[in-house]
Amino acid sequence: MSNGIEYEIREMVSNILEVPVEKLTPEVDFFKDLNVDSLKAIEIVAAFEKKYRIIVPEDDIPKIRNLGQLIEYTKNVTS
Amino acid sequence: MIWNQEKIRSVLPHRKPFLFLDEVIEIDGTQKIVAVKHIAKDEDYFQGHFPGNPIMPGVLITEAMAQASIILYSLAKPEIAAMHPHYYLGKIKSEFFSPVYPGDKLVIETAKVKFSDYAGITDAVTTVNDKIVAKANIVFSVRKNE
Repeated sequence: MSNGIEYEIREMVSNILEVPVEKLTPEVDFFKDLNVDSLKAIEIVAAFEKKYRIIVPEDDIPKIRNLGQLIEYTKNVTS
Repeated sequence: MIWNQEKIRSVLPHRKPFLFLDEVIEIDGTQKIVAVKHIAKDEDYFQGHFPGNPIMPGVLITEAMAQASIILYSLAKPEIAAMHPHYYLGKIKSEFFSPVYPGDKLVIETAKVKFSDYAGITDAVTTVNDKIVAKANIVFSVRKNE
């Protein structure tokens, strides 16, 4: 199940950022390394909310800086 | 009418001939609004789009949906709207189904998908006589004046 979530999220982020999946390591920083701006950030959050039917509080958005943190966040809110 | 054009101008920086909302007729909290634009028979752009066959350009229908989205954002984020930030379109996914002609009344319904202090996403639908003429998913950024 966890691997399934990891795969889904990686694919989703890869599609939105138009970055190859291989580049999306758990540690790569969305903002510093991938130049994610406020538009891309909100697109990721909206896609994430739609897929998992949850609401991400606005204060949580800046705390999620890489794929590893996003996967961890997902596991916490969907468990 | 809930908002007239004067109230709309207090939020939107747009002015004639690039203000594409006449009134807001419905507000559902911070989730949805419905706005109206009456398309005059002598709009300037009809002279060239197209001579003898006037049709409202799709980009202008999209602009009307984007302006309605800013109104909705201002209701959800009044403290930011009060600072009169700049709003920039970032990404639009739109579909057009029927032409819009002189004399038509656009009814624009826009719904919140997600808003943050720095950006917003909305889903908008435009109808004429209850028939859908355009749809758009709109992503925009919000930059506060320094």
